[in-house]
Order: sequence, then structure tokens, then C-alpha cells
Amino acid sequence: MGDDTDAKGQDGDALQYVQYHGSKEETYLPAIRQLISKDLSEPYSIYVYRYFLYQWGDLCYMALDSASELIGVVVCKLEPHRSGPFRGYIAMLAVRESHRGQGIATKLVCMAIDAMVARDADEIALETEVTNKASLKLYERLGFLRSKRLHRYYLNGNAAFRLILYLKEGTALKRPLGMEPGQEGQMMGGPQKMEEYKGIARDAGVA
Amino acid sequence: MADPSLLHRDATARETDALTASNGTGPAFASAESSRFAQTSLPLRQAPRRGAPPQIHDVTEKFTRACQALDVGQLVKDEYFTLFESIGAIEIMDPKMDSGFLQPGETLEDDFDPLAPLLPEELIGIMDQLLGYEMAWHTGYPLSQTLFTSVYIDRLLWPESKTIPQAQFYRGDIPVDKRPGTLLDVLRAYCLALIKGCDYVIAKIMARDYFEEEDFATHTYNRVLFVQAPIDVFLRELDASMEMIEDPDLEIDDGIRSAIIARLQFRKSFLCALDPECPLEILSDFWPPVLPYIDQVNNTHTLGKSVPGSFSTKIQRRLASTVPPRPIVQVEFKDALQTLKQLCTDCEEATRFKDLPTDPLEYQSFLWTFASRQPAPLTYSRSYLSNILFDPYILNAPVSLPLEDVKSFVFHESPILDPSNWALSPPRNPLMPKPPRLQFALLIDEFVERVGQPYLDLWVALGQNRCRLRRMLAHVIIAWDMLQQDAVFVDADLVAYAFQLNISEEVMDGPLQTWVYIKKLWMIEKVIILGFEQDIYLPDEHAGMYYFLSLMANKRKDALLRCVQHNNDRTVQFLRSSHFEDAQSTSEKLSFIDSEFQQATGISAFAKALHGFYTIANYLHLLPSPKRPFSTEDLRYELRMKPFLSLQPSEVPPFEEFQAALQPYGSYCDPSPSLYEDFKQVDSKLWSDIGASLKAAKDAFAKVKKYGAKESNAGGVEQAWNKETQGMLASCIALGVAVAGLKSAVKDIEPSSGVQVKVEIPPAGADKRYVEGWIVPKILKG
Repeated sequence: MGDDTDAKGQDGDALQYVQYHGSKEETYLPAIRQLISKDLSEPYSIYVYRYFLYQWGDLCYMALDSASELIGVVVCKLEPHRSGPFRGYIAMLAVRESHRGQGIATKLVCMAIDAMVARDADEIALETEVTNKASLKLYERLGFLRSKRLHRYYLNGNAAFRLILYLKEGTALKRPLGMEPGQEGQMMGGPQKMEEYKGIARDAGVA
Repeated sequence: MADPSLLHRDATARETDALTASNGTGPAFASAESSRFAQTSLPLRQAPRRGAPPQIHDVTEKFTRACQALDVGQLVKDEYFTLFESIGAIEIMDPKMDSGFLQPGETLEDDFDPLAPLLPEELIGIMDQLLGYEMAWHTGYPLSQTLFTSVYIDRLLWPESKTIPQAQFYRGDIPVDKRPGTLLDVLRAYCLALIKGCDYVIAKIMARDYFEEEDFATHTYNRVLFVQAPIDVFLRELDASMEMIEDPDLEIDDGIRSAIIARLQFRKSFLCALDPECPLEILSDFWPPVLPYIDQVNNTHTLGKSVPGSFSTKIQRRLASTVPPRPIVQVEFKDALQTLKQLCTDCEEATRFKDLPTDPLEYQSFLWTFASRQPAPLTYSRSYLSNILFDPYILNAPVSLPLEDVKSFVFHESPILDPSNWALSPPRNPLMPKPPRLQFALLIDEFVERVGQPYLDLWVALGQNRCRLRRMLAHVIIAWDMLQQDAVFVDADLVAYAFQLNISEEVMDGPLQTWVYIKKLWMIEKVIILGFEQDIYLPDEHAGMYYFLSLMANKRKDALLRCVQHNNDRTVQFLRSSHFEDAQSTSEKLSFIDSEFQQATGISAFAKALHGFYTIANYLHLLPSPKRPFSTEDLRYELRMKPFLSLQPSEVPPFEEFQAALQPYGSYCDPSPSLYEDFKQVDSKLWSDIGASLKAAKDAFAKVKKYGAKESNAGGVEQAWNKETQGMLASCIALGVAVAGLKSAVKDIEPSSGVQVKVEIPPAGADKRYVEGWIVPKILKG
């Protein structure tokens, strides 16, 4: 999947699918922030975006229209998970409202999965709201299964499903090599999750 | 910036919580603790040394110089900057992140005057709004977005006062004519009791396992909720307020007067019920009086008039938090009262725990049933029950609770538990072997010690929210798996000593491991059933998961059958040796074991019938089956079986075996032609297997029903037990109807033709299933 990089938008406008690169931060980061924070009750600081894009910019894909306007974006990371497997994580996915229902998000996710497969990922994880039918459908069509239900996962009090896709045999039995400083990415894919935000803000001395 | 050592610890705690289960309740969770320590061997930043006075350095110039060495857009990130920290970072001057940022014309503080006189209607309005926020807090929102947005509450709590009389809507001396009037005094008493109630709630919840934010927010933002003041102070304030309102000289409409009194009475009764010092014996006296006041509050709510200005998000700026002001949580008063009522009835239900017979199986039934209540009990109610369960009076029962559990299954009237075994002394010469009966006692003592933690782990898990219960059980199962390995060795010794005493036939083969295995399998079944209940499995996975459930229940059934047989053997032995009383008591115990056996039989058979039904539905393409380009059947099977892969004995069948059970006619897309022959043949094995399973399930559940709740050690929750048993029977009947519908739909089917029916899967939590974990579909004309 994900070998052709052009697709026709609704208005016949050809979309271009582009891999992000750190050198494009000034061009694309403001648009990425804007697109993603549209669906959030509270914005992420620029450091959240940079956290992902600085380390895993090559796992971020963008859909651009002919005027190079950002239509959709997927942001990921890939690192050893504390339980053992080399885990990819889809942290953010957004498509402009006017362009939804055309398979743009699916295309972006497929590109991200292909990239993670190429980088030898064992599995891919993400969270999504239990009520977000469109998102569940998108990922489940690709092969993700629900592994856990997470009570009051999001700021709005909603529960989430954690979705997992195994890419390799033996992933369930993988154990960490020594101790990996794996920082679990429990983030969104929907409205912002509060735990980390609050947990940290309590200690940060900016009142 | 935040203290990194704190953050790391915090982050790790959150990490381990997903992996292990609880925050350090004991040895079973030692692994979580040790991994936390192991992490400190990583290159962490050094923790700041305590005690040394902070030194402030101006780094502006250095920082500016360092920045100039960077290109525009170039980033520097050290390896300690985690996702966790990035999410906590804020941007100065961003109005949504910077809590000090003021929009043009915006003021930092509100100008609401909490000393301005109130109308009686406004008093009611404020009280009701506070109650609404209190309940929002109970459902998981932080105080900062609920109660702490009240200007009145803020004034009482800040600046902190040394004594309760000093806790006023003002501080220090004010002119007499500025002093608050009667209605404000009444509001103050109401608020004080409300705040104290919050203190009690936090104390009770924090005494047990809970998960900050996920369950409940205990954060008080450096406000002290009158922790030191005893309850009488608050009750006195409420009493005095009631007198003031009852005073006939107070000119006030009578309807409003009694509405205010009802609110004060409610507050008083509720505070008494929340009092953590309340002795166990009289707990149940405190909840019933609260309910009538809730109704009165409800009936007079419309008399109130809201005072929107008395609540403000701006107060959040002064709380010990750097989260920017968040919107006040919106609550419907109707919903808040519903939550309150639920809280009171759940807590009242929890108090029934103390009246249960001293029987761990009754406890387990109660805990499971309480956790299954709909709507799900709030964190406070769950903590309330846990506090009763872990009360020394309950926990330090004169008998070992786990041993009582073991006894019910495998050691009834057994020489191994003969009290005289514990009265034997070891031989004077330590080189001489100990008498075998003393060895029984020592081995059992050792086992009881060993079983304690895993046993408590199960109880702790049963006290969690439903989602976490499922995840935590998966970890508890691992602890019981290790216990099972240990039980094998103890069993070998028990059998050897029984052989020495020539009483081998009085001891069942592998008693302790059998008991552990029965409990472990029960938990595995629950994890799967909870998965169905929580909509974890997609429709085309149902066949496979019910298949696995059926296998597990069948193993439990086999283990229980050995208990039944042993019990029968013992009865015969007693009769032969003319121990008629023992024979009688042993055969009476059979009803419990047999009830468990029938239960397992029913679950196994019914799950098998569902496996059969969903398999056919898969062949008929009646269930949505995604294309899944990135996945394969065996990878999905591995993911599903992950929690059980390490268990001994091995519980997960090889993939080939699983696939053969799921696809008896080959792949769903290209099945063998015999499938269509079997579809059309009413008495083919395909249909007769389902029919036989359904019949076996119905028979078994009918037997369970006949035994009744008491015999099944669920006497304390008889109503719920009856409902569930009835629900299982109803599910069997409903599946029978669905099978018949399917059968008639395929009676003329050809490989090329489809079927003119649809399968409807009843949704979770909508009261559309007889029992939530059992998804019985409906066949609709297509």
C-alpha cells in the first residue's frame, strides 16, 4: 500500500503526499498545529509537536493540495516499548473537515505504517475515543484490534480504546533487552488527554 | 521548569500502572517497585539536593549567547526531554496556555462581592449549584473546575484560617454594618460542611487503590479542607443555621424556608454518612436518612435563583496549579441528583457486606456483584466497600479466609485440616522426623502464607473500575499461575505424608493445585467475558473468543468434576466406617461443588453454542469482516492470546488447532462444498452440535438455578444472582431462536446464492443483552 503518491480530491484537485522533514518546520509546523488543535479543547505546546517531529519527522506524512496547503497530517513515533517490542505509535491524525470521507486519513496512516514496517517495527499502537466511530473504522479496516478499554482517558471524561496492530510473529513474547527507558506515548487521536498535562503542570513554576 | 526527578517518578508510576496492577499493595507488586528502582540506574539528571538554600543565577546573557550559535529552526533536544515533559510545557503569552495572560480589558480578579446580601432564592440557587459541582467532582472532574470555582468556597479556604470561626467570607475585622446577614451565615455553614465532606471523601478514597484522574481527582491545589477540625464543629454550625432559618422572626416565604432547611438537613445527614470514623457496626444506619432529603431538594429546586457571578474560572489562577483556567464543568442538576442518589444507594448496599457470613466465597460473590452494578459505582462507593472489606474486623477473621476457600473445594472434613494436627509437637530430637500429621499442619500454614498476597490481589482487582478490573485480572492471573507451580510441590509433600499414614484414599490427588487452577481459570473466563462486555472484540472475532472461553470453562469443569468425585468418595468412606455425621456434612457440601460444576458446564456449553453460531455467521458473511491489509489471522490470534501465552499448563491452543476449530469447512471465502450440504441437512453435525451444546447449557443453568444463591455461596447477593442465572437461561433461549432463524434461512442455499437475513448484534451497556458479557445476536429478515 501507499505506493502512489497522488490522489484526486473532491474538487478534482490532485493531492500530494509528502514526508515531513525538519528543514520544513517553518513552512509546515504552523499549519500542522492549526489543523490538529482544531479538534482539541486545549492546544498542545509547540514542544509536543517538536518532540515528535524532531525525532521522528520521517514518520510524519502530509497531504498537500495543489497550492501546497496542508489538508491532512499524521504524526508518529517509533521506539522500544518498555514491555519489549519495538513499538510504533500514531500520535496525531487530522484531515481538514472539508476533505473528509475521501480516504485521505487512511492513505496517510498507510504511509506511516509502511514506513514503520520498513523500519522493523514489531507493532503499532494508538488510542481513540470509544465514541469515535470513524476513527475506529479506519484503523480496524487496516487490521488493528482493540486491546484495552481505558476509563476516563480524555479531558472530556470519555473512555478510549487502545488499538494494536501486530506486524511480526512473536511480538507478544518479546521482552525488553535490559531496561529500556521507554516512555509510553499515551496521547490523543482525539481530544486532549489530561493526565500528563496536569501531572506536569502542577510542578512547573509558571503561575 | 519542573523538578525532573519528580516527573520521572510520576511518569514511571503511570507507566507501571498499565503493566502491573496496583500501587504497591504487597509482594505481588514488588516487580513494579523494583522496575522503578531499576530505572534509576539510567542516566538520569541528578536530583536536587535537599536542604541547601536555592541559589539563583541570572542566565539571560548565557542563554542569549547560546541561542545565537543556533540557526533559525535548528533544535536541540537532550535525552531527558520526554513526551511527558513536552506535554507539560507551556508557551508564554498564548492565551490558552499562559494562565497569567489577560485579554485586552480583562481583569485578573473578579469583582463579585461575597458580602453582598443574598435573597433567599439565591441562597437556594447557590446551594444547588454547589451540589451539582460536588457531584461533578465525584464523577472525576477536578475541584478546580467544579467546587473551587465558587467565590464563597474560595473565601472560606483562602487565606487559610487557624480556626473555623475565622473561616468567614471575609478576614479580620470589618465594620458591623458590613457583617454578613443571616442568609450568608447559613450559606457559610452549608459550605463549611460541604468542604469537610470533600475532605472525608478524599481521605476514604486515598486509603485505597485508586487512579488519580482516571477514577477521581484528589488534588486540592494547596487548599486545606479543614482536615484538623472534627465533625461536631460542622454539625453545630448547621444546627445553628437551621435555628436561624426556623426563627419565625425571619421574614421569609414558608416554602423557601423549608427548602433551605431541607438542604441543611441533607448536608448534615450526608456529612455524618461520609464520616470515616463511623464504626463498622452502625455504618448502615447513616445512608437511609439521606435519601428523603435528596427528594426534598429535588422537589424545591425550581424555587432557587442562580447567582452566576459567584462562580468564576479566574479563581483557578490562584490555585497551586499552572494549568490555564479551564471552563467550569457544566452539570444538569437532574443528573447531579441522580449521581448523588446512586452514591447513597451504592454505599448503603456496600454496608451489607459486614453482615455476610464469614465466608470468602460469599465475599467474592459480593465483590463481583458490586463491581457489576449498573450504573457502575463511583470511585467513592468502591473505596467505601474496600474500606469495609479491609477493615481489621473483616480481614482478621478467626479463620484463615483463603483456607476456608480451599476447604470448600477440596478439603471438606479432611484429615489434612484436622485441628489436632496443629496440636502436635515436634520431636525433642531435631534429627528425628516430624510426625506426618504435624507436617500437614506445617505445609498448610506455609501454603496459607504463600496464598495471602495473590488472594488479596484478586480482591483488590475486584474493587477497581470495570475497565481496570479486566486489565488487572490479567496480571492477577499471572500471580496465581506462579502460585499454582508452588502448589504442585506442596501437594507432592501432602500426598507423601498421607501415604505414610496410609490414608491416601482420604486425600484427593493434587488438592491445592486443583484449587488454584479452578480459581485461575475462573479469572481467565472473567477476562474474556469482560472483553465482550466492554466491546473489545469485533463481531468476526466472536466465534474465536467464545471458542476460547468454552475451552477454559471446560477445563474448570474437569477440575471441579474431580472435586465432586472426591467428595463422593469421601461420603462413601465415611458411611463405610459408620461416621454418619461426617458423611452427612460431606454430602451436604456437594451442593456447593456441584453448583460450581454445573455453572462451569453451562458456561462451557453455551460458549460452545455461540462459537458454533458465529462460525456459521462468518461463513455466510453475515458479520462485518474488514479486509485488514496489514494483518494476518495468526498475528491477530497472537495479540488476542497475549495475556495467556505464558501460563502453565499451557492454555492457548496452537494456531492450527484454533483455525481448524474456527474454519471447519476451510476458509470463509472458499468453503468446501460439504458446508452447503450440511446447511441444508437439518440433522447434520453442524446443527446438531449447536443443539446439543444449547441443551447442555440450559440443563446446567437450570440445575444451578435449582441450587439457588445460598448453596452457590452467593446468598448475600441473591437478587442479582437470580437475575444473572435467569439471564443465562434467557440467553440460551434467545440463541435457540437465532439458530432456528439461521437454519430456515439456509434451507435452500446454494454456493452461488446468498442468504436473505441479517445478524443484529445487541450493543453493550444499552440493556439489550440479558447478560452483558454474553452477546446473543438476533436474526432479522434481510
